[in-house]
Amino acid sequence: MAEAVIEVRALTKHYPNVKAVDGVDFEVEAGQIFSLLGPNGAGKTTTIEILEGLRDPTGGEARLFGTDIRTGYAKIRGRVGVLPQDFEPFDRLRPREAVTYWATLVNRRITKEEVAELLETVGLTARADAYGMHLSGGEKRRLGIAMALVGKADLVFLDEPTTGLDPGARRDLWGLIRALKGAGRTVVLTTHYLDEAEQLADDVAIMYKGKIVTRGSPKQLIDRHGGGTTIVLAGAGEAGCKAVEARGIPCHLEDGDVLVHVADIGQVRAMLAKVAAIDISLTQIYTKRPTLEDVFLRIVGARMEEGELAA
Amino acid sequence: MRRVIADLIAFGRQYMRSRVGAFFAFAFPLILILLFGAIFSGQGATKIPLYVQDQDDTPLSRAFVQAVNNTTVIEYRQIPDDVDILAYIQQNSINTALRIPAGFQATILANQTVNVTLYGDPTLSTYGIAASAVSGAATGMNFGLAGARPMIGMEAQTVSREQFKFIDFFLPGMIGFTVLTNALFAMTPTAAEYRSRKYFKFLGTTSLTKGEWLLSKILFYTFIMSVSALIIFAVSALVWGGKAVLTPLTFAFIAAGCFLFTSMGMLLGTYTKDVETASAVANAIGFPMMFLGGTFFQIEAMPPIIQGLAAVMPLTYVNEGLRATMIFGNEAKALLYLGITVVLGLVFFVLASRALSWKSK
Repeated sequence: MAEAVIEVRALTKHYPNVKAVDGVDFEVEAGQIFSLLGPNGAGKTTTIEILEGLRDPTGGEARLFGTDIRTGYAKIRGRVGVLPQDFEPFDRLRPREAVTYWATLVNRRITKEEVAELLETVGLTARADAYGMHLSGGEKRRLGIAMALVGKADLVFLDEPTTGLDPGARRDLWGLIRALKGAGRTVVLTTHYLDEAEQLADDVAIMYKGKIVTRGSPKQLIDRHGGGTTIVLAGAGEAGCKAVEARGIPCHLEDGDVLVHVADIGQVRAMLAKVAAIDISLTQIYTKRPTLEDVFLRIVGARMEEGELAA
Repeated sequence: MRRVIADLIAFGRQYMRSRVGAFFAFAFPLILILLFGAIFSGQGATKIPLYVQDQDDTPLSRAFVQAVNNTTVIEYRQIPDDVDILAYIQQNSINTALRIPAGFQATILANQTVNVTLYGDPTLSTYGIAASAVSGAATGMNFGLAGARPMIGMEAQTVSREQFKFIDFFLPGMIGFTVLTNALFAMTPTAAEYRSRKYFKFLGTTSLTKGEWLLSKILFYTFIMSVSALIIFAVSALVWGGKAVLTPLTFAFIAAGCFLFTSMGMLLGTYTKDVETASAVANAIGFPMMFLGGTFFQIEAMPPIIQGLAAVMPLTYVNEGLRATMIFGNEAKALLYLGITVVLGLVFFVLASRALSWKSK
């Protein structure tokens, strides 16, 4: 087993009327992408701000690189890089200047070549001399990641790095996050995008109301909570649903499609043959593996849209 | 110290790239020194116009008008003697007018008292000047007619080291004002912006300490304000012939003022919600201080209650200390006021350092 970079035990952060973090336990192994997934207000940011040394916990224990964060943060600060939530660069500093500035603040002497290399890593070479305020949303986050990496951090916290970005910029950033892992860094990623966690994370912890309600790799979570495979009879409509139910097969209607859940993967082929034999009007028939979205729906009881729980 | 210098350079770059910052550091004080210099330099029209209706038009009335004109503070302008003076004043928006009645000479020659009438608004400073000129001319003529001569005269002597002009008295206030506007007015919204945009939190993930961050701002403003002071001093000397002296204590006051007002701005910015509120708070505190702190008006000329308020305005000690060293050469008073400024600065620095938190609660 790889070395645990982060160890969290019974961590709590209580406010007068809210338990923002309520007895959280987890550990993160070196070289992993660990994702804290949950809706807004779940306690994700509070948890990682405690780990970043920006908030004091009410109780529990947290160690980074084996060091207690309450007493020894100064020793490990240089090994930790942080991209805060809603990161905004300094308006009138150029990426080249911002990275050089930040390097000094984290006690690193950096050469012009190293700055250029870092900007190349995050894909900002062409924009190295633009003012921060003129960068696009994605470029701003890339600059934030460059600043987080400038101290040669082994552990990088990325707090909702793709929130508010367009799909193209999000996918570009995913590539960069994968590259961080490829370079041997440990990444802690908070997100409320289920597809992001599913695509990137080795290990996912779903947080809800201050607690980690389930944890595992995306595959483990899907296998455990995804509810099996779904056969979709596209465009079959209400009549189709009634025809399927008439054969004793439970189903439900969603946006004009008839969905049939098969809990046991071994039964999928037989069930597919059964429903295909029913004479109903449809546009196509296919199977759908569950996603983290289905896992989230089953565990929390609601869908999540842009970080908010939908009814 | 490397971190302080790096932070100073990064902050300075942003400040200078913001045209607003550069405007308030250099252009604004320059405009003010040119403007106030033009108003008070003694060049151009400094006489106040006095409209005179001489209804007598005799040798004695003309001699009286001449005596008034000789005071050099008024500029004689004639009102026709056949018009209604009150209507004429109203129609022509005249501030101050003098009527010499018909029979002026005859009454004097009959050894009786005759009154001239001065029309105007006593609340205007020009009225007081005109009244003094008319009264002085009347007294002079009275002595002449009585064959007497004044027994007490007055010789004017300036109390400063050299022959100073108003611009010299204004210059120290201008330096104090520039320190206040830049350090306080810029620092308060900057601190609010750093908090609302979570820069403080981001800085909290580095090795930079709160004290280092504050120190870099104080050093930056001290440098910028010293350059600004040199520029406005040079303009005052070259354009208006100012003779105030730049002493080492001048720069000590600039540093102490930056220390004080940067810390004060930091404290205010820490407790305000957003940049807009921070600017409003800085204005609400800075503007009264600007006017009551002896920037534009002499504190001694203010009513006692306002003088009491001026005594609790930190800017007062900066402005008066600068005047003490730059105008009067009173280094003892300057050092006392420097000490007060530094102590006030320390109080605000400690409060700001405590209030400023890298961490969330």
